[in-house]
Amino acid sequence: MDIYNNGGPEVSIRSLKKDSMKFVLSNTDLSVANALRRIMIAEVPTMAIDMVEIEMNTTVLTDEFIAHRLGMIPLTSFDVDRIQYTRDCTCTLYCPNCSVELTLHIKVSVDFEDMNDPTLDKTRQVTSMDLLSSDESVKPVSDDKAHPILIVKMRPGQELKLKCIAKKGVAKEHAKWSPVYGVAFEYDPYNKLRHSHYWIEEDEKLEWGVSPNAAEETPLDPNEPFDYNAKPDRFYFEVETSGCMKPEEVVLRAMTIMQDKLGGLQIKLDDEFKEDTQRWGY
Amino acid sequence: MPPIAKFNTLERERIFKNPSDKSFQTPALQELVAPHIESFNALMDFGNKTGLLDLALQDIGPKAVFDKKDGGLGNKLTFWVDEIMLSKPALPEKERYSTTRQIYPTEARERLNTYKGKMQAKLAWRVNDGPVVVETKDMGMVPVMIRSNRCNLEGAFPKELVRHHEESEEFGGYFLVNGIEKLIRLLIVPRRNHVIALIRPSFTNRGPTYSHYGTAIRCTRLDQTSQTNTVHYLTDGGSMLRFAWRKQEYLVPTMLILKALINTSDKEIFDHIMQGDMGNTFLTDRVELMLRSFKSYGLYTREQCLAYLGDKFRIVMNFPEDFTDIEVGEGILRKIILVHLKDNRDKFNLLIFMIRKVYALVAGECAPDNPDSPQHQEVLLGGFLYGSIIKEKIEDWLNAIKAQISQDVRRNVSGVDFMDNRYIGKVCKKLTGHQDIGAKMSYFLATGNLVSNTGLDLQQATGYTIVAEKLNFYRFLAHFRCIHRGSFFAELKTTTVRKLLPEAWGFLCPVHTPDGTPCGLLNHLSHTCKVITKPLDVSRVPAILAMLGVTQKFVPAHGEDTVVVQLDGRIVGYCSSKRAKEVADKLRQYKVSGEHKGAIPLDVELGYVPISNGGEYPGLYIFSTPARMMRPVRYLENGKTDMVGSFEQVYMEIACMDDEVRPGESTHQELAPTSMLSILANLTPFSDFNQSPRNMYQCQMGKQAMGTPATALKYRTDNKMYRLQTGQTPIVRPALHSQYGMDGFPNGMNAVVAVISYTGYDMEDAMILNKSSHERGFGYGLIYKSEIVDLGDFRVRGEPVLHHFGLGLDAPRAWREKLDRDGLPCIGVTLKEGDPLCAYIDDTTGKTSIKKYKGLEEAIVDEVRLLGTDNGEGELQKIHIKLRITRSPIIGDKFSSRHGQKGVCSQKWPAVDMPFSESGIQPDVIINPHAFPSRMTIGMFVESLAGKSGALHGIAQDATPFTYNENHTAADYFGEQLKAAGYNYHGNEPMYSGITGEEFKVDIYIGVVYYQRLRHMVSDKYQVRTTGPVHNLTMQPVKGRKRAGGIRFGEMERDSLLAHGVSFLLQDRLMNCSDYSLCTVCTKCGSITSSVSSSPGSSGNTSAGGLREVECRTCRTGAGIDQIALPYVFRYLATELMCMGIKVSLKTQP
Repeated sequence: MDIYNNGGPEVSIRSLKKDSMKFVLSNTDLSVANALRRIMIAEVPTMAIDMVEIEMNTTVLTDEFIAHRLGMIPLTSFDVDRIQYTRDCTCTLYCPNCSVELTLHIKVSVDFEDMNDPTLDKTRQVTSMDLLSSDESVKPVSDDKAHPILIVKMRPGQELKLKCIAKKGVAKEHAKWSPVYGVAFEYDPYNKLRHSHYWIEEDEKLEWGVSPNAAEETPLDPNEPFDYNAKPDRFYFEVETSGCMKPEEVVLRAMTIMQDKLGGLQIKLDDEFKEDTQRWGY
Repeated sequence: MPPIAKFNTLERERIFKNPSDKSFQTPALQELVAPHIESFNALMDFGNKTGLLDLALQDIGPKAVFDKKDGGLGNKLTFWVDEIMLSKPALPEKERYSTTRQIYPTEARERLNTYKGKMQAKLAWRVNDGPVVVETKDMGMVPVMIRSNRCNLEGAFPKELVRHHEESEEFGGYFLVNGIEKLIRLLIVPRRNHVIALIRPSFTNRGPTYSHYGTAIRCTRLDQTSQTNTVHYLTDGGSMLRFAWRKQEYLVPTMLILKALINTSDKEIFDHIMQGDMGNTFLTDRVELMLRSFKSYGLYTREQCLAYLGDKFRIVMNFPEDFTDIEVGEGILRKIILVHLKDNRDKFNLLIFMIRKVYALVAGECAPDNPDSPQHQEVLLGGFLYGSIIKEKIEDWLNAIKAQISQDVRRNVSGVDFMDNRYIGKVCKKLTGHQDIGAKMSYFLATGNLVSNTGLDLQQATGYTIVAEKLNFYRFLAHFRCIHRGSFFAELKTTTVRKLLPEAWGFLCPVHTPDGTPCGLLNHLSHTCKVITKPLDVSRVPAILAMLGVTQKFVPAHGEDTVVVQLDGRIVGYCSSKRAKEVADKLRQYKVSGEHKGAIPLDVELGYVPISNGGEYPGLYIFSTPARMMRPVRYLENGKTDMVGSFEQVYMEIACMDDEVRPGESTHQELAPTSMLSILANLTPFSDFNQSPRNMYQCQMGKQAMGTPATALKYRTDNKMYRLQTGQTPIVRPALHSQYGMDGFPNGMNAVVAVISYTGYDMEDAMILNKSSHERGFGYGLIYKSEIVDLGDFRVRGEPVLHHFGLGLDAPRAWREKLDRDGLPCIGVTLKEGDPLCAYIDDTTGKTSIKKYKGLEEAIVDEVRLLGTDNGEGELQKIHIKLRITRSPIIGDKFSSRHGQKGVCSQKWPAVDMPFSESGIQPDVIINPHAFPSRMTIGMFVESLAGKSGALHGIAQDATPFTYNENHTAADYFGEQLKAAGYNYHGNEPMYSGITGEEFKVDIYIGVVYYQRLRHMVSDKYQVRTTGPVHNLTMQPVKGRKRAGGIRFGEMERDSLLAHGVSFLLQDRLMNCSDYSLCTVCTKCGSITSSVSSSPGSSGNTSAGGLREVECRTCRTGAGIDQIALPYVFRYLATELMCMGIKVSLKTQP
């Protein structure tokens, strides 16, 4: 199938929610669809805490444990393009161009009157809401105010003071930069292409449920002859984000990145082709 | 339907936040260590307000010594220990600063001290019949068991325990010796007060005419010390009684003992042994012979026999000198012969029984008893052993006093005056070594070595204690339930002692025993097995027996069908075999229902042995003594719980499952089929689906997992502790998981596992970890290590303190980055090899010195603990530094599921390249399908199914073994759940290649399995070397990882290179990379030893290259000298041979 002479790939959105999105990618090759999936998981840049400078930590958790937990907190990254990768930046360690600073300082005061009251829960829950960002556009994801992300629990008298440096990065490097929690991907729910061979003990209908994506396709007609030339061309995606950016944004960015990559590849190939032509004359 | 398992997260959190002061969250845990704690408590409280130590003092009795004044014996000084007191650990009186004087275990733990209480003894004495003088003596500080009745945490509940820095569910049962948790391990010993028939080839070694037949009984005194008596059958038809006293064996004719015990006649003895069975000519012949042959001794009356015995044993027994021979003889009978019985008539009867049994064995009427079977075994409890050691040490002390006084008398030392109380005090002062029982007990606990004159009737001298390692909670718990057969049996060539016998059912776990050397010797008690620790009141049993038709013991019974009825090794009477069965049945009814006002306690064992054709010697044997293994089963008659012992179980009909109950035959039924398993074996989910060795492996691996060793981590000072930072509660868990509070101590994490051969990196049990999972914290662990710095080590005794922690002005800048001004490391600082651990100033030089951190890995300072002295005074001299080493999982680290499926991580695979399911799920772990066919761990598949459906529905899954059967299969139960969640019934899912996005040809089995991270990590094991230290004799690389040595390239490795013909590689390994050396050889004589360098000064003839002139000493010329390369070790060999006068000559060619 020539994807270029066929109107190009199509995307039809099946549902769009705050943090998830279902769409069908059609009219394209499997490799393109999978590339999109891979880029969404691993190559869309986001912001995440990368360095933690701990000034005071008298909590029960160790420094490195807290640092790891902080790293896993998703930060809003819709404005990530504005920020440079640290490796591309001119600064030595980090600067406002390539990083965002978040601070946290909690000291749980000791209230001696309450000390002996067992009914009072004196535990202070330090959550992502306690992280104060220097940049309005990069702050912990906080859609659900009732259930922010717990960092550590503290008891009276304990103190935690730290500075976090959030940087731009991609999930190839560390999973914390992944904008998505999962990308569901399916094609050919009726297994018309016979890519797979389902294990059946007795009855296929009883043992195998029907995929929710099957509603989009016509069921398999047992009388229909097997088309061994057929190729998958409808890909069912579901993208669930960490909340750092909108799902459609993730998809669009992923597509842009793919275009950039292909563009880069094309330029390189063209250069090579030109070189060859000059040298060999064809 | 399986029971509903629950996570109970909120409930647990609530209890965790507000620990109760009334009850434990998991009382089951407290029960598990009961044998340890109760046996220790018995030292001071063994019912009736007396303790085992009191009973021991009674048994020791008074000692006497004479001052030999006025020619004869002179004045008699009698002395004894009146009372022994052990107080709870408290501060020494010298300490004046504290308001609370109790010491709690946490202090001993953190200060690396021993948790000990003061022992005092009331030494009483009198001269002749004068007044009794009592003086209290300090017996030293004796280690005390945690949470026993001598611990300040006795009876404490979680709230108080937490206040004292313990685990909220702390169960104690161990000792603290130098900050290390030590435990006296349970040992298997022969069942007490029961005569067993033995056939041992070694019996014939006792002397001529000794046969290999014998009967033995391990008699136990009230204070739980024991004495074994053996009756040997002689080939001439006679019999001898053997016993050991102070590690020395003695053999006495049984007839002598019989006649010494009571006033008896040959007729009476004959009648008793024959018991009316006059047709048994085998027996009549031998009894007659025995009676006849004893005539040669010429002893006719009891007095004569006693006097004869007393005469022979006077020196051995060390009784007071004024004892007559008859009194000594009586003393032997009291102290050595059948010591569990008080009455001589009872001893006589039982000795007759032993003789009868040995003759029955010889005649083939009964079979030998198996001493390796739990039927004839009981448990040596730690507390009882501890008590018997204390008893022996007290007796040693008294004997030492006696020896000291008699020595003074013998040497005519001035000042020997029995009337002068100060003299006794002086004698005691000389014997402080004997008096310090505390030090001896600390030594016993610290080393596990038993230093004993008597041997305590035990077969081993070492290995009594173990360290209760807190590697993880499973391991810690297993220590308290492990039971060893004795180190004597470990050396035995035969494997019979290691066999798993059907008699062990329900008492010892068939699964939980290690592989290898200790296999079958180191067992674990099943989780329902209890060890009786308290004496039972059976005073009314004889009356009930008589009521049920048992005749009195005085009447020798008539007829073949008569069997003996014994209560704790005492013959109570006789009855017919049929009647015995009825009596046993009736007694059981009374016992379970509590009829007759509980005259028969529930823990009494009713061992009815029916008459059989050459089987076990018949009779009704009733046991009520402590240290027996008992377990609960349901009594079918009234549905109540009955306790069953290992002796009686052999002859009982106990059904397991409902459909196995045979009406009219089965009397009991198991409470649950899982009762036979130990705690750890019970925690393997769906273990009934697995091949049995895999469950054994899991029992070992569960104990090696990095988990949560303790929750009070802040107050622990263990040498090494492993911790899993991201532990989870398993989704799939057996019922006992919650019962034993395992959720408080997570031991692994739930992982999405795909069974697929994917990357090629999962061969041979390797597993692939998802790189993103790893980055999100999967399996992240750490190690705590302790470093102790004691400046007291530098100090010479008697000198003032010259070393002080601190950082002087002379300290370089690099030290200041790691250390504070007080010389101690800053919390949270990272240490590399060679960094300062702490600094101290030496007063004599005035300079600052440091202790270096020697570990190879980076460590973070977690805690610094300042350790003071007992009296709370003096300058700080000792610190404890807890270091933290982070251990993120890396390639080469070991992981395992709970089904004995271990593997190493071979790759951390990028998430995008991992296979994924239609719903976007990517596995955390990939394992190879080849791990299954030969190992048959179907339980892992079922766990995967259950875990998957549990995760999908958000529920905990019950994984108790034996819940499912052929009609109600686990696969269907969880299959339906999966189906309901929209997944494939069998747990398969179509998956896609992460690399191409193409759907796999087959669907993949994927689910959620609980994974453990094992403590074996490459970081502790890798060994690499290029150049490095060499052995100075051979010049070959040294061995050992610690010394940066190499791995031996041995002869087998050499052989394989030879076989391949790769000679350059061979030379590289064995010469160039090993002990390559250049040496000079004389080509004329071929010697490599004779070449000497003539000194350049003398000849003044150095060559251009600076090489010195070399010449051969034998050829007296340097003409033939050449240089060759040789392995250095060959030169060494040549010199060694030269020493023996063997010449090595090399034929060299250019």
